[in-house]
Amino acid sequence: MSDSWMALYVAYSIVWLGLFSFLGYMYLRQRRLDKDIKMLKEEVSRHGK
Amino acid sequence: MMMDRRKLGTILLVVSVVLMLVTVYLAIFFAPLPQTGVKSAGEILSSVDESRLQVAGFVSAVYDRNQSHVYDRVVFSIADFRDYQRYLQAAAANHLDQQWWTVRPIDVESRSGGLVGGQGPDIGQRIVAGANLSVNGIVASHMIAPNSNVTGFSLLSYNGDEIAFGPVGGFGLMTAPVAQKIFYFHMPSAWACYLSFGVTLVGSALFLKTRDHKYDRVAYSSAEIGIVFATIAITTGPVWAKQEWGVYWRWDDMKLVTTFVLWLVYIGYLSLRAAISEPSTKARVSAVYGILSFITVPMSFLSSRVAPLLQSSHPQVIATSSGSLSPQAGMTIGIAVIAFTALFITMLIKRVEIAEAEEELEELKRKIGEEE
Repeated sequence: MSDSWMALYVAYSIVWLGLFSFLGYMYLRQRRLDKDIKMLKEEVSRHGK
Repeated sequence: MMMDRRKLGTILLVVSVVLMLVTVYLAIFFAPLPQTGVKSAGEILSSVDESRLQVAGFVSAVYDRNQSHVYDRVVFSIADFRDYQRYLQAAAANHLDQQWWTVRPIDVESRSGGLVGGQGPDIGQRIVAGANLSVNGIVASHMIAPNSNVTGFSLLSYNGDEIAFGPVGGFGLMTAPVAQKIFYFHMPSAWACYLSFGVTLVGSALFLKTRDHKYDRVAYSSAEIGIVFATIAITTGPVWAKQEWGVYWRWDDMKLVTTFVLWLVYIGYLSLRAAISEPSTKARVSAVYGILSFITVPMSFLSSRVAPLLQSSHPQVIATSSGSLSPQAGMTIGIAVIAFTALFITMLIKRVEIAEAEEELEELKRKIGEEE
């Protein structure tokens, strides 16, 4: 395989890994936030009682 | 409403992934090697800084010859007038094996079809059948900038019997190494980054006008996504540059430097936000910064167009008077741009949701703190 093809694959990998890692990070972050919010809401409602 | 937004985000994500896969397929199997913004010899000559370069130069062809005027290996180089004089002297002394000005040999893919597209004047067609007309590297400080799209130079050929030297007008069609196809993702990344920072500008302006924090959320969410796209653009660019120019980065190229500055400026935007704790001040100050920093976007976009050749050899992508993309390349890049735009909207929806969730979490924590 020539350097030129290798460069193409490297660049395309950067694009796909970069973009979808960021998307994955955002989905995971939101899931964690949703979990925390749910927990705190339960705590607030317990305090309210 | 929330559900609708999530649904829209999911649909756009699926659309963008499908379109990106289509782009990969088209880029590799369908689209030609992109030819972007070929500069004509006249343009190059008129943009040359004469204090640095006496004559724009010429493309020399030194080769292993199969038959008269058809070569399967061609070395192209650009040299200045002094080199040309030396070449003539060498030719007169029959010392043409000395190639002082050779920049970097380019192995040429042998093809029998002539120039890509089948166009070009006779001399070009004969001499560079299937040749890769990339110019890779710098001879010396007075050398014209390495530019994968430099064509249209006078072509000097030597076939052992004769030396032909003359302007090769219309010698614009060229091909480039396969790495040129990086462009099909590099350019949409740059587009998405400009779009993101444009949204930051609009969000910042609307925040300052209305003081509604939802615009602030959109502004900084978009800036964060813009940095991701900008990082991809300035990472994939050097991978291409190494193949085309022989170096990963050139600090004397205006396009590269202005894009790097753009990246730094928006990193500064996020750093600024992180440094201010009071929410209203944070939103106000970053809105002003978000508006001012947008100036780096036209600086980056226009730099390769307004800069003289010697200050930017970054290819121009969108049609210029001197060249534009072929229909197949245009279609491929169009699909890629739609894919990246859809991906940007997906990311923005998701990032704004996260920002809202973070604020809700802070609010809940504050409530609990007050109750205790």
